[in-house]
Amino acid sequence: MADRSRRKNPSRTPNRMMLRRTLFLMIVCGIVAFIVLALKLFQIQILQHEMYESLAVEQQVRETVVRANRGTIYDRNMKILAMSASVDTIFISPAEIKMYNEDPELIALKLAEILDLDYESILEKTKKTSSWYVTIATKVEQEVSDKVREFKNEYNLKGVKIEPDTKRYYPYSSLASHVIGFVGVDNYGLAGIESRYDKELSGVSGRIVRAKNSAGTDMLFTKFEDYYDAQDGNDVVLTIDSTIQYYLEKHIEQAMLDYDVQNGAAGIVMDVNTGAILGMCSLGNFDLNNYQDVSDEVKAILAETEDKEERTRILHEALNRQWRNKAISDTYEPGSTFKIITMAMALEEGIVNLNDHFYCGGSIPVLGRTEPVKCWRAGGHGSQTLTQAMQHSCNVALVNIGLRVGAETFYKYAEAFGFFNRADSPDVTPTGKAGIDLGGESGSLWWSENVFFNEQNLSQLAAASFGQTFNITPLQLITAVSAVCNGGNLMKPYIVGEVIDSEGNIVKKNEPTVVRQVISKETSEIMCKMLEQVVGDRNEGTGRNAYVAGYRIAGKTGTSQKVAQEAAQNIKEYIVSFIGFAPADDPRIAVLVLLDTPSNETGIYISGGQMGAPTVGKIFADVLPYMGIEAVYTEEELVHMDKTVPNLKGMTLEEARAVLMNMNLDMRVIGSGAVVADQLPHANAVVAAQSQIIVYADGEASEDTETVPDLTGLTYSVARQRMGYYGLFIKNSSGIIADSESVLVSKQSIEPGTMVKHGTVVEVTLVDNSNLGRY
Amino acid sequence: MQYENTRLAGYTDDASIGRGSVDLPLALLTLLLLTIGVIMVLSASFARAYYDLENETGGNAVYYFYRQLIFALGGVGVMFIASKFPLSFYRRFSLPLLLVALGLLLIVPFVGVESGGARRWIDLGFTTFQPSEIAKIAIILFFANLICRLKGKMSTFKYGILPFAGILALVVGLLVLEPHFSASIIIIAIGAVMMFVGGARLYWFVGGAVVVAAVGAVLIAFFPYASTRITTWLNPFENPTGEGWQIIQSLYAVGSGGLMGLGLGQSRQKYLYLPEEHNDFIFSVVCEELGFIGAVLILCLFALLIVRGYWIAMHCRDRYSFLVCTGITTLLAIQVILNVAVCTNLVPCTGISLPFFSYGGTALLIQMAEMGIILSASRDIPGK
Repeated sequence: MADRSRRKNPSRTPNRMMLRRTLFLMIVCGIVAFIVLALKLFQIQILQHEMYESLAVEQQVRETVVRANRGTIYDRNMKILAMSASVDTIFISPAEIKMYNEDPELIALKLAEILDLDYESILEKTKKTSSWYVTIATKVEQEVSDKVREFKNEYNLKGVKIEPDTKRYYPYSSLASHVIGFVGVDNYGLAGIESRYDKELSGVSGRIVRAKNSAGTDMLFTKFEDYYDAQDGNDVVLTIDSTIQYYLEKHIEQAMLDYDVQNGAAGIVMDVNTGAILGMCSLGNFDLNNYQDVSDEVKAILAETEDKEERTRILHEALNRQWRNKAISDTYEPGSTFKIITMAMALEEGIVNLNDHFYCGGSIPVLGRTEPVKCWRAGGHGSQTLTQAMQHSCNVALVNIGLRVGAETFYKYAEAFGFFNRADSPDVTPTGKAGIDLGGESGSLWWSENVFFNEQNLSQLAAASFGQTFNITPLQLITAVSAVCNGGNLMKPYIVGEVIDSEGNIVKKNEPTVVRQVISKETSEIMCKMLEQVVGDRNEGTGRNAYVAGYRIAGKTGTSQKVAQEAAQNIKEYIVSFIGFAPADDPRIAVLVLLDTPSNETGIYISGGQMGAPTVGKIFADVLPYMGIEAVYTEEELVHMDKTVPNLKGMTLEEARAVLMNMNLDMRVIGSGAVVADQLPHANAVVAAQSQIIVYADGEASEDTETVPDLTGLTYSVARQRMGYYGLFIKNSSGIIADSESVLVSKQSIEPGTMVKHGTVVEVTLVDNSNLGRY
Repeated sequence: MQYENTRLAGYTDDASIGRGSVDLPLALLTLLLLTIGVIMVLSASFARAYYDLENETGGNAVYYFYRQLIFALGGVGVMFIASKFPLSFYRRFSLPLLLVALGLLLIVPFVGVESGGARRWIDLGFTTFQPSEIAKIAIILFFANLICRLKGKMSTFKYGILPFAGILALVVGLLVLEPHFSASIIIIAIGAVMMFVGGARLYWFVGGAVVVAAVGAVLIAFFPYASTRITTWLNPFENPTGEGWQIIQSLYAVGSGGLMGLGLGQSRQKYLYLPEEHNDFIFSVVCEELGFIGAVLILCLFALLIVRGYWIAMHCRDRYSFLVCTGITTLLAIQVILNVAVCTNLVPCTGISLPFFSYGGTALLIQMAEMGIILSASRDIPGK
């Protein structure tokens, strides 16, 4: 047919060349090209399938982290010390603001208003239109974020977003701040228990894996979801008792004010039988809810500093100082408190006994020292029994004892009491830790064997006998002293009692751990009696300011000179301390208080006896009754103790007088009636014994005011009489019995010159000022 | 011949009466591809249509599908009608059509709708269309006409090259004004194929290839736009969020399809990752959902259609019909091959749609009309 048509009109039909070329096109465009395409598809879809698939899945899925709830931190009575609450993160998506044509100015304005932020800076953030996530505010409380939600819904804004987060709350603010620690913005523990137990507390985050579209929201209609449940964090129950902690902090804080302490203070309360920490503080402390906030003094310094780098340096230094847990992170020379250890080892070794006598002439020569070791008391203590040597905190006697013990035995006991771990080589200075389950514990610093064991130079042994020339942490000392008084067992200190999971099951329980028995029960008992004499003996004890009427307190003072600093800067500075335990006949708790560098301008003599002892005494006075340990008063104490004023109203004058006489109180009558109409002070006020209660026989009590006199330096009875003259009253905030001429008022709760009403009771602090010395 | 015999007196007004039936394989292949294409538009476009709340679709997930369905049905009608007119009809109107195309190309830079820095579209109110689509078919119809007129002179430079090159230069010149790079390439290619089949000497094509290569080299050297296309082609992962984004997303889609695909409707890349997922990159979604097997099957359908198109061309006893069928088939082939090649990064990225698949109303109508023209020519082939 083709032939026929070509014949008919050859130019009207395609010629052979055309057909040939078309056939070529058909082969190229219809077959070859498609084979090439199929091969390319084979390469991508079959050979490179896995690579492209994984790359595609990577961009197509979104992982949403489901935060695990952080565990709660409780004290031993299940009071909440740290808890997490829901907050929100507010962020914007500038890309969506642009995409949906939302008003950036309105958004900036309202967010600035609700969140109390700067309008301009928010507006600036809305301009980053390539971004899908710009944070505006973190840790926003629910009630505030609700307002943001309201605003978002009102204008149906897609560019404003709210994301849940958690925030850590510390109900007691600064209480036990160094123990509890804090978390950073990402809820990661940064200090204290929060850091050390972060793994337990934080739990395991869950994940939701979802398919997402390119805009980041969920892919439609695709069943591509995976859940990994979040596992909530465990709760941590501390051995801390927040009431004891409160008393500890309260009294040390007061001491810091009273003695104008320059360089912070630390305190520890330990259960001597278990090693559990009942209280631990480092002052000045900080509010855990605003842990980056520094003290007003630092703020003032910062405000005056021009240089930015300098400001940053000052701020960081201040923060590091306030976050530092002095109770475990700082080492110091314990001074005389260490005499407990020297005495305990000597007794245990049988080198000394209670019948031994020691003579103190004021100094003792030591082999290897150019100058003899001086006793704190220039004239010496003369002849004294073993107990008296301890009561007097006599350096000469203790050096004598230390030398008798000998360097190697001394070293062995010091190690056994946990002050260091013996080094591998005798040349190396050993170090050691008490091993508490809390971060930031520093290691001690001791003499190497070669230096300490040098028979030609006993100066290290001599100085160590009274607690100088080595460095330990406060925690190590209280742990060792607990061993001395608890029957001889060195306990491993611990601060976490239990870890509980979210269902309440106990995951981990810390049991008391005996590290080793260091001294015998008998030696321990002797030590308890001896140390009780340091506090309880009103004539000879250097620790008498720690006495609490009705309780058997034992303890030892310490006044350590900062020798290194004195050598370097020629400034005499001291760390004053006191370590006590009670009840002396059956010790339960030990308390160590350490005040770093009291000011020498308060007029109060700087020593452990004058500053450390009264502070510990006040802590015992509060803590022992709280623990349910009943006070047992002696006859003498009952007579001299402060009295609670009874209600006399309605009694006849005779009856009232009889009641008061019976209580060792006096009475003064104003008016001429026969029946008590009113009284000053009113019922239930506490006043000093022998105070003269004012009784109004007809009419109301006086409303007149009176100026508070200065009582400092007076004895308790003189102060009482002076106040009585004005119709005012006093009571004693210390536990000590004020029957001695040397017990004087050092502080009064209401400043002299203040106008107060008749009948007001002023609280005074009494300190025994006999025998002042650096002991 | 056959129609001359069967032509009945009194029916000359209706040119189709008495002609043979259309080529069934070509018609069926076209309808099959169109059906698959419309379904793929539904699958590929619904995510974007759903998310696009503010603009055209208003969040209606089947918006694109409905429009494409209507145009597809219209397209079938257009194909049917186009198959009724004899080729002489198209030949008669080839010059006016070219003039219309040129006129539209002339005004489109001024009245066109701007999109991505170019004006390629004319807004008709209910839909938009690209004058370049009309230019393509106009070039085929007119070049075929010219070749038939020039007959033996095709081997000379004066007649075989000059008029064609002149018209092409004019059309491409106007396209550059928009600018519209991909349409230029297609029109040059289709023009060259028409001249090739028409009988122009082969060595002119060697020369033409040299010229094209030189122009390409100049473009790459002086236009950063062109050179980044090349570097992106060679290494798309160099700038994955910028220039490379399109092609990387396409490769992810194609690659994750694997042998069997994720299943119809199951593409993940269409969720706003893949740009132009219902237009230029619809084949990537096909690959992702239907896998290597499905993609190759569809490529086979296209190949069969193209081979059948050339087969019809070669069986035309009328030179004009032959030339038009060859031209249209080649146009179809070039578009399919280039589109798939772009989706698989075989060639640098350029915006070429996939016939019967890519969303676009007027383009689809014109494609269906083109198929109708081939079908019309096929009526005159006896013994199909």
